[in-house]
Amino acid sequence: MDLSQVKQETLAIASSYKPERRFILAILQDVQRKYNYLPKESLVIVAEYVGVELTKVYSVATFYKALSLKPKGENIIKVCDGTACHVKGSMNLIQEVKDILGIEPGETSEDGKFSLETVGCVGACGLAPVVVINDEYHGNLTPASLREIINRYRGGENHGK
Amino acid sequence: MEIIIDGKKAAVQEGETILQAARRNGIDIPTLCYSDALPGITSCRICMVEVKENGVTKRVASCAYPVHEGMEVTTDNETIRRTRNVLLNLYSARVPHNKDIKALKEKYDVPEIKRLQVNKGETHLAENCVLCGLCVKACEEMGTNAISTVFRGAEKKVGTPFDEPSDSCIGCGACASVCPTEAIQMTQENGVRTIWDKTFELIQCKECGKYFATAQEIAYVKQKIGNDMDMALCEKCKQKGNAAKFKEALKAELDI
Repeated sequence: MDLSQVKQETLAIASSYKPERRFILAILQDVQRKYNYLPKESLVIVAEYVGVELTKVYSVATFYKALSLKPKGENIIKVCDGTACHVKGSMNLIQEVKDILGIEPGETSEDGKFSLETVGCVGACGLAPVVVINDEYHGNLTPASLREIINRYRGGENHGK
Repeated sequence: MEIIIDGKKAAVQEGETILQAARRNGIDIPTLCYSDALPGITSCRICMVEVKENGVTKRVASCAYPVHEGMEVTTDNETIRRTRNVLLNLYSARVPHNKDIKALKEKYDVPEIKRLQVNKGETHLAENCVLCGLCVKACEEMGTNAISTVFRGAEKKVGTPFDEPSDSCIGCGACASVCPTEAIQMTQENGVRTIWDKTFELIQCKECGKYFATAQEIAYVKQKIGNDMDMALCEKCKQKGNAAKFKEALKAELDI
């Protein structure tokens, strides 16, 4: 990605908010939406724009799980590890994804196709254990059915995108 | 105004905190995240005391709770001891080898609470930070804002953006000097100070030759107070100079 382009685009995003500290999170969310992660240069621009030191923006950026400092994959697999899903064996699903893609939670596969995240409750406990891929919910999963679903996404099907 | 601390009457001033009042009256309350210069963080909770006012008894953080006429404060009873014991056991689980936490545990005769004992393995043993946030506040108050608490939960720590040497850091060492558990590494050797992975050349005092401040620190202060006064003296020599001047002035005054 072109550096000056990132800077310009980030500034454009930030400019839709007033240059005030309270908008840091809102701006970062928009930047995250655009790039699927927060480029370093963007944080610098946001800090300059709202008039705080970089450390304050970095603190916010690292605090929220919805924000990422590392580039994310095309498909984001969120395995719910809330109480209900945990009890229903979400750890087996996490292990299955690890086995298939060779990545740990928080990592992105080498081909850039998948990122794995664990989240604490997605509000669909009736379907436990649940996995959300690109905002599409898959419930009542077993490791085998999850493998099938992931293979579908691998084949280029981008549900929910 | 008068309040009662541990059964004794104590004269207090409106607006001060229980902690300030107690310490002024010679009553000891332990703290970690509190500094007279940087009050009000209230994160460490070691200073909890029991307060009785308007017929209600509650536990409060004495470092932030203001005194009120007629309140009764207890700094040491079963409840407070239990609170302190749990807290110090938790701190100790996080920083098992920190000598300041160990000293507090000894001082207050804190028993080991078995369910709070953890074994997190070797890597964890060097940890000294209890995440009280006093260093971050000190950096904020300096106006430099080089460090913050970053990440959260088990990964939470104090650090510079991207763990890189920070452009804003002036190497003043305020963070290290306020740290209650000596968790911030600052080394000083041959006129070079290293802190937060950044090295600074130190300036020598023109009187005694002691390395006393970084060039960036002096430049920062000059710019902040907006004058160009001579700052090449260390604290001690400055005091000496001022004392001499004061003596002269006093002499002149008395001669007249």
